[in-house]
Formats: sequence, C-alpha cells, structure tokens
Amino acid sequence: MAQAPVLKVENLSTRFKTGQRGKFVHAVDDVSIELRSGEIVGLVGESGCGKSTLGRTIVGLEKAHTGKVFLDGVELNRLNGREARERRRAVQYVFQDPYSSLNDRQTIGETIEEALLIGGLRSREERAAQITKLLDQVGLASVVKDRYSRELSGGQRQRAAIARSLAVNPRVLICDEPVSALDLSIRAQVMNLFLDLRKELDVAILFIAHDLGLVRQASSRVYVMYLGKIVEHGPSQELYDNPSHPYSQFLLSSVPEADPTTERDRELPMLAGELPSPVDPPSGCRFRTRCPLVADRCSLHLPEPATVSPAHSSACIRAREMHAKRRSIFVEHRAA
Amino acid sequence: MRPLVSLVTWLKGLPRITVVTVSLFLFFGIFGPWIAPMDPSAQDLSLMGQGPSATHWLGTDHLGRDTLSRLMVAANTSLTSVGMVLAIAMTIGITMGTIAGYCRGWVEDLLMRLVDVGLSIPSLIISLAVIGIVGPGYWSMVFALALAWWPMSARISRAVAVSIMNKPHIEALRVLGASPLRIYFNHLLPGTIGSVMVYATADAGMAAIAVATLSFLGLGIQPPTPEWGQMLVDALPYLESDPRQVILPGLALTAAVIGFNTLGETIALNRVPKRLSRRQLLTRRMEVAGWHKETSDAA
Repeated sequence: MAQAPVLKVENLSTRFKTGQRGKFVHAVDDVSIELRSGEIVGLVGESGCGKSTLGRTIVGLEKAHTGKVFLDGVELNRLNGREARERRRAVQYVFQDPYSSLNDRQTIGETIEEALLIGGLRSREERAAQITKLLDQVGLASVVKDRYSRELSGGQRQRAAIARSLAVNPRVLICDEPVSALDLSIRAQVMNLFLDLRKELDVAILFIAHDLGLVRQASSRVYVMYLGKIVEHGPSQELYDNPSHPYSQFLLSSVPEADPTTERDRELPMLAGELPSPVDPPSGCRFRTRCPLVADRCSLHLPEPATVSPAHSSACIRAREMHAKRRSIFVEHRAA
Repeated sequence: MRPLVSLVTWLKGLPRITVVTVSLFLFFGIFGPWIAPMDPSAQDLSLMGQGPSATHWLGTDHLGRDTLSRLMVAANTSLTSVGMVLAIAMTIGITMGTIAGYCRGWVEDLLMRLVDVGLSIPSLIISLAVIGIVGPGYWSMVFALALAWWPMSARISRAVAVSIMNKPHIEALRVLGASPLRIYFNHLLPGTIGSVMVYATADAGMAAIAVATLSFLGLGIQPPTPEWGQMLVDALPYLESDPRQVILPGLALTAAVIGFNTLGETIALNRVPKRLSRRQLLTRRMEVAGWHKETSDAA
C-alpha cells in the first residue's frame, strides 16, 4: 500500500443550480477518494446518491464546485485548454448505456480511429494496426471495425466503447455501471474483460455500480456513498463481512444469498423512508433520517470517519461498537 | 441504387398532394425558362386578354403575353428567391443556433434573447422596414426576408444542437480530450444541418408567400421578370371582366404553398419512425391545434 495513488480526489464537491436562487443540489459533498494503479475499486450506493456525478466530475464532464483532483500528483482542475485536455485524457470514462455512447453515424473503426487521432497518432498505418490491436484486446474480431454500432449487440457495443477509451492509453478508467444495461449472460464476460485489462494494462478502475455482488467479486476496495458523502470505505472482503455503517448494513442485506434455504428464512430489513432531498440535506449525519439507531447527537454534527480496522473507516458515531460486535444492527434492533 | 430506393419509399410515405405539387414546383422552378413555349415578356397588344387557344394554352394577359410561359418562368423566379432566402437565413440561423448550443451559459442567453427579439417582430414588418430603408429590388427583398427568417431556424438549430451536445457520444469525445473545433465541425454542425434542413424545407411555402406578397406590393421582384404576386396585381383591374388572369397565378401560388405546408406538417407529425394511422394523425393534429389555441389564449 506504500505505492502512491495514481488518482487522488480531495474534498470534492459538485453542486447543481435549482430553479430557486441560492438553493443548490449538493450532488457530491466533500468527497475524498484514492485509486492506485492496477486496482479495481468499487463505488456503491443507491440511485441518486451522487456516484455518477462523482465520476463525471473526476473526468471533467461536470464542474467541481470545490476540491481537487490529482492525477500523478498534478492537479487537474487548475489546468486549462489544451494542457487540460491532454492531461485529462489519461482518465477515461465508460458510459452506462453503450447504445448512445457510440455515434450511430460512424463505424466502430471510425470511432476508434477518431479517438486515436485525438490521442495524437498521425500515421494512418499505425492507426489501422492499433485499431485491430484494440479490438483484439477487448475481445472483438477485427471485422467489427466496418460495422455500425446498430449492427452490434449490447455486449459488443460496450466492448467497442471500452476499446475507444483504451485508445488514448488511460491510467484510470471510470466505469459508470458499465454492465447494468447488458444481459445477465453478457455481464460476466464484460466483467472478466475489466479484470483482464487491469492485469494487462495496469490501469486503475473505479467501478460504479449498484449491483453489490458484482462489486464484491471484482473490486479490492469499496467506497459506500450516501447522499453525496462517502459513509464507509474499506477492503472489499472486510467491508462485506463486517459492514460498520448502518447504511452499508442495509445495502449489503439486500444482496440475495446464494443458498436458497438461508435466502428463504432471511428477514429482509426495509430501509424506511426515501432518500432525503440533496437540496436540503439533514443536519449532522446524512443518514439519521432513516437510521434505526438514530440518537440525539446524530443531528448535531457530521460524524468524522472513524478507523475501525486498518484501511477500513466508517462515518458513524457507533462505528467502532458495530465493528467490534460483528453483528448486524437489525438483529440488535429487533432484540432491543 | 440504395439511396434512390430509400428516397422512393420516403416519398411514398408522404401525402400525394405534397409529392405532386412540390415536384411540379421544383420541376418548373428548375426547367421553367427552358421549357416555356414562348418568351414570357414578348408583348402582342393585338392578342391582349384572350382566353385559352391552341397557341396560348392558358390565354394571354392584358399586354398579350403568354400566361403559361409567364407562370412557368415565375416558378423559377419564386424557387430561386425562396432558395436564396432560406439559404441565407439558415446559414445565419444554424451558425447562431449551434454556437448557442455549444457554448451554453451567457453566450446562449445573449444569442437566444436576440432571437426572441427577431421572433417578436412580425416578419413582414421587418421586411417592409428593410426594403423601406434600402429601396425595392431583388437583392434587397432577399436580404429583407432572410433577416426576417433566420430567428426561427436559429431557435430550431439551438434545440437540435443542445440535444446533440447532451448525447453520451459527444461527452465521450470530451473525455477523450477532443478539441472544441473537432467537436463543433465534425460532429455538432453536420448533425444539426441534417435535421434543420428538413424543417427549413417545410418552411419554404411561407417563404414563397412572402416573396409573392412583397412583389404584389411592388417591393420585391420588379417587372418585367414574371412573378406570381406581380401577375396577381397586374391582373387585378380585370378581376371582374377576366377573372382567369387572377385565378391562374393565384392557383399556382396556392398549390406550391399547400404542397410545402403539408410536407411540413407531415414531417412535424411523423417524427416518430412508425407511420401514423389516419386516426392517430387526426388526434395528433387536434392536440397540436389545441396547444396552439392554448398558447395564443394565454398570450
């Protein structure tokens, strides 16, 4: 873990204007994350918690309100114009919907070639060779280069989109639910592709998803996000085994068990209420409006991330207690 | 061969009246001066105001000029001036619309408020004002009408450009670090032009009326160039004695306008790829009419 992070996000906030003056949607609020080369990091949370916005802000599709994004120690938000474009190129984005993220007027070859041209590959022969190589790398036959995106299946399109982002030799890939638009049978293949790419190219992958099972299988570390904030962060195995934030516990309890008998007997806890509005987030802990363990002091101030075990931290005032007990809050809650 | 086939299927989807009138207008508009049987400005005062005959199929006007030839050549006048107006208006409109759609923010606000100003003044009044200042003539008419016409195409282009800019494949290009010029010229502009052209063609009928109106008022096409609006005003004194002279150019103009209007309507209503049934089309039409009424009531 001594290795320096390739991508470092510090206290990043993104907000959007609302119709009302002076009111903002705080989509991402004071988030800090780190990615190292060759690691896959999961980012999970329910819809609307700001995980996509975080990814889009990192690549510069949304403007950061405050905070910094460092790539290899260079602060990206400070750069402008050509230099910014060239630096930012090392962070690529894979979109959720492979249907609209490819231009339907271009063949796959043209799409990738354009990416190579943007990346500064001037010679036509080199580009042609590179297209074949990239297509091969993502598991597509080279004949695909003359096809239009509408002639491909969902999985093939997503592969082509990945090939396009690999064309500029990225160091970081931000994948925004890259498999949720795909058939179940295709998902595993595309997921394996990500695992292969990580090994071959030594890229860092931020894997945004709401399918917790997938994240567990693929990633080494996981960030759990709730209402614009990281509530828990830790090594995948550890976090899944012993989640130490009430929200993570809810989230993980929604993953079905593989064993049908346990699955049948399992009591599914329901998360009460809806996600509060990110325009006026609750004071103190963001989760307190839905938390079964809520106490008076939760509304006073935002809980600091508490380290519960090495590299595992949780932003809950009872984090250490929960971690030590190794018990789900629901069991405890029901017993009380 | 393939584009031809798809063109034919597209034409088959259009109302027959549109296909007939628009293609007649285009045919005479392009070939009129060559296929006109006689010189449209040759006068023969001994034959003035005659009805249809073997030599003059549609008769002659008050100066003994052949009406059929004049109608055909007038189609050419109308087509070229409408084409000019639309070309100039669309160049301005698409440029402004795409810039607004690309830049967003205050640039967009500024350009679109400018468009609002343009749209708030009736086009005929703008044209009259411009011609009043510059003086009547072919080019002043074309520029006056283009000046009145561009705001609409600017507004449509902005809408199209915004929708293109929001597509993930443009975002992907931005993430790849494509230069703004590449995004603008290679992706935004071609995409916008394609969609806006269709809408603009549908507007050609209104432009044809505007050309005829200005010529009717003596502010557009100047004699001796034959033009429908001008033929109408020439024939006006004989409205009671020889209505044929008024009816023929009036019919020609009406047909052209109906053709383009139905074309526009079909395009607007048939944006869904599937062809609509007669009933769906009717409800859609009612909706559009209802919406129009609501907005005009509110205003």
